Amino acid sequence: MNQFWLVRAGSFVLAFAFAFALDAAFGGGGYAQRLVMLAALWVTLAVSLNLINGITGQFSMGHAGFYAVGAYTAAILTTLNPALAEQNKLAWLLLMIPTGALVGAIAGFVVGVPSLRLRGDYLAIVTLGFGEIVRIVAQNINIKTPKGDVGGAYGFTLDVKLTAVWVAWMLAIAVIAICRNLLRTAHGLAFLAVREDEVAALAMGVNVTRTKVTAFVIGSAMAGAAGAILALFEGRASPDMFTMDQSFIVVTMVVLGGTGSITGSVLAALLLFYLPEKTRELSNMPISSVAGLFIGIGVAVSLARMIQQRYHGPVAQRIGLNFGAIGAGVVTMAVIGFVLQQVPAIAAQPLVAGAKLRMVVFAIVLIVLMLLRPQGVLGHHEFSWDWVRRTLFRKPAEVPA
Amino acid sequence: MSLLALDEATIKFGGLTAVNAVSFRIQPGELFGLIGPNGAGKTTCFNLITGVYRPTSGCIKFGDRDIQGSPPNLIASLGIARTFQNIRLFKSLSVLENVVVGGYLRHKSSFWSAVNFFPSAIRDTERLRSEAMDLLRVLNLAHVADARSADLSYGMQRRLEIARAMATQPKLLLLDEPAAGMNPQEKEELNGMVQRIRDEFGLTVLLIEHDMRFVMSLCERIVVLDAGREIAQGPPAEIRSNPKVIAAYLGEAV
Amino acid sequence: MLIGSLPVAGLDFSTLPQQLTDGLLLGFIYALIALGYTMVYGVLKLINFAHGEVFMFGAYAALFTSWALGYTPNHALGTGTPWMLGVMLLAAMTFCGLLGVLIERLAYRPLRTQPRIASLITAIGISLLLQYGGQIFLPLNQNIDSKINPFGGSLEIALSGSAKVDTVALDAEVKSASEKFDAYLKSSGEDAFNLKTDEGRSLRNAKQDAERKLRDAKSAGEGKTLVISYGKLIAMGTTIVLMIGLTYLVLFTKAGRAMRAVSHDFDAASLMGINVNTIVTFTFALGSCLAGAGAMMVATFYAGTKIDTFFGMVLGVKAFVAAVLGGIGNIPGAVLGGLLMGVTEGLVAWAGSTAYKDAVAFVVLILVLLLRPGGLLGSAKVEKV
Repeated sequence: MNQFWLVRAGSFVLAFAFAFALDAAFGGGGYAQRLVMLAALWVTLAVSLNLINGITGQFSMGHAGFYAVGAYTAAILTTLNPALAEQNKLAWLLLMIPTGALVGAIAGFVVGVPSLRLRGDYLAIVTLGFGEIVRIVAQNINIKTPKGDVGGAYGFTLDVKLTAVWVAWMLAIAVIAICRNLLRTAHGLAFLAVREDEVAALAMGVNVTRTKVTAFVIGSAMAGAAGAILALFEGRASPDMFTMDQSFIVVTMVVLGGTGSITGSVLAALLLFYLPEKTRELSNMPISSVAGLFIGIGVAVSLARMIQQRYHGPVAQRIGLNFGAIGAGVVTMAVIGFVLQQVPAIAAQPLVAGAKLRMVVFAIVLIVLMLLRPQGVLGHHEFSWDWVRRTLFRKPAEVPA
Repeated sequence: MSLLALDEATIKFGGLTAVNAVSFRIQPGELFGLIGPNGAGKTTCFNLITGVYRPTSGCIKFGDRDIQGSPPNLIASLGIARTFQNIRLFKSLSVLENVVVGGYLRHKSSFWSAVNFFPSAIRDTERLRSEAMDLLRVLNLAHVADARSADLSYGMQRRLEIARAMATQPKLLLLDEPAAGMNPQEKEELNGMVQRIRDEFGLTVLLIEHDMRFVMSLCERIVVLDAGREIAQGPPAEIRSNPKVIAAYLGEAV
Repeated sequence: MLIGSLPVAGLDFSTLPQQLTDGLLLGFIYALIALGYTMVYGVLKLINFAHGEVFMFGAYAALFTSWALGYTPNHALGTGTPWMLGVMLLAAMTFCGLLGVLIERLAYRPLRTQPRIASLITAIGISLLLQYGGQIFLPLNQNIDSKINPFGGSLEIALSGSAKVDTVALDAEVKSASEKFDAYLKSSGEDAFNLKTDEGRSLRNAKQDAERKLRDAKSAGEGKTLVISYGKLIAMGTTIVLMIGLTYLVLFTKAGRAMRAVSHDFDAASLMGINVNTIVTFTFALGSCLAGAGAMMVATFYAGTKIDTFFGMVLGVKAFVAAVLGGIGNIPGAVLGGLLMGVTEGLVAWAGSTAYKDAVAFVVLILVLLLRPGGLLGSAKVEKV
């Protein structure tokens, strides 16, 4: 018993140390801080949606809606009480997080109870619709303040801005811990059972409706909390921050990580957030190079798929062949880029800004990863070195006869 | 008093009466068989008892409680467990985890303690796991406890369904074609296993089965359905010589 | 007296016919796009998120064809001829058909044996790729020159004594307010979404106020005459012809019968000797052609349509909602859903809350699904236990 609390206290200290270390390293403001901050929020979103989509198997596509609910809650309360918020910024942030979570949870309950009767695609569509409704309602929220009407399509601009990186990361860690704890108990198995087979779960006495609503409410609360942090970090909340694309991106993170895998969600969230951000730094390039890049990727992926399907030799040889495929892609890229550049009409086109490629890179990563690994990066598994070892040096016959 | 009593249970789907005024009573401790040609309404009967469907009319009593129309999870918590004809395991969960879900009704720790991974939740889960392991030993599945349930052989999957149902610690166990797809040797083993389970755990068993030899050797009483109606009821010897039953099976060797 | 005590009192019934007519006409376009979603869902059980982008490329195909016909931004040609419109329509349909088939081949077919969620994610990926990739390679914010449309006039039906409202003064006010705001933005280098000074905010508010006044005045003047442009009528006629053609194809041809078989049971159909791949290709081609036709008509006949790479998103989502509303996978359902969607939007616009127009579509969808989980004409699948 004492040992348990000792371990528990130890993990708390470690979590805080990690969060504060990030804060110390990147919290100084600027682009690095922004990256680290938003990474925590995306991790929170992906892991919380994984609880709904991956673990409980309820295909929700409106996560940006709950994110928006949390953000707007924080933004409106801050607009209404600017003095209070100014008094102690950190305390205000720590108050807004549970408030955002609470309102997010209520929204989750209101949406969840009626719509969780629907299955599969229909649930996806209804949740997608909910996300859009939230955004459109947000567009029409106007509040009278001494400085005049605020809100509408331009959203709320806050005077208070908070950049506590460690708070965001503590939220992310808490969300991960909650999901992981849950999965290690009989309660968590009931959630998985609902995903696997509702009829059988019912026959085992699992209250399927309550389980689904619980997952939905907790997931929405987590997204609401992340939203509150976002609003106070950005110093604004406006409808354009919570479009359908945002929901799609979160769903993609969950699927790409491997539905149900918490570590997968975390990895995919970091990858899909970081990679497109990195492309902002790309220098401007001629349009012929961009075209060459697209075609080169296409060639490399087609070859990699062929290798995957037709060649079942040892791992080392497969890796070698895949490098070959990448090489072929690079050569294609160079050749096409060079040839196109010789056409005067194409060479005369203005350079393409690197920043414009951000979402394109995102889309390509998405398609390529899905084509090459449809079950997600980690499949249904959690990351462990044992898993890496087994995957790389696959031994036949895992199942005893 | 009987453990389960169907009284004129009827269900209609549109114009089709799938189960038509079926009545039977099962006494505690009995091994009771439900047979009939394909489409006779046997599985629908199971679905009525376990709350998947709500009867159009009639009454179903479990002990002294009316259960018709109650939600399936409530009926399960009252002590009725079932297996499925078309195997419905939690496919991507391990064999052991499947059985732990069966024990879910008996967990004592709160959701809050599970989320916080408090010692009470850890102990509770450990208890359910070790109970599940015991059951797997009874059903001779302990050696595959960590395998993915979808990877098991057909016969093993059927046994796992029984283990999972047993984990709810039911009073009444409904088995839907437990021997389907098994070879004669596996059937023989299953026969012994069902009897042993009944004796050791003090269960009442209601089973649907097509293999006549299996049913006749195992069950103490049998109800025969045909086209939704009950056409005979009694001990195996009586059923075997009942002309209506023989007619229903169209001369099939009984 | 009774009416007076109801909130309906504030509504101006004279504008209702115009809004309903506009809604209905737009509903035909929704229906046309919804058919593509519904047919693909029927055979593959896949929500083809890239369908909206196929539609968008259809508009570009029409645009480029109009340029090829001489109607470039700086042309000096007179009014176009009907055959030009025909060429644009055919070009858009052909291009979209090919694009749809290509997308299926590259992004969906390789994943057909995988869980459906994988194809859904590639669908989203393709959709994003076309939207943002288009930003790099395509001209943005274009419109098809209205001169190419020989049917420029409008059918005007007087409903009651008409009185035109003079909006010139209000127009000028909006113009000056937005100029001031733009000038402020330029001088301060701020972003409209992130204003830093009270001066900026008050300028923004002034602009919004002026816009609101203009909107109100315009809506007050509407409805005395029912105005329907000939172009929109032609679009409706074309849509109906295409729908009749589709119905014939699906009900009375061999390919249509095979398509219905595949949508009923994919595996069984392939066992019956139907080449499932051909049918899937055919379905994608057909659905995409219809989207292309819709795109050409919206881009040509709906005045003020600006074509850019996000053009397909809003319309695509609405058409998709329409398909689900009618019962996804069900062809008459898609048409019913599309028309209903258009009329509902008309009603909402009439009730004065254009701001909530897009939200209402979803609210209707959610209500319908909660009452009829399979959509209006669809049937919810009952799982066999």
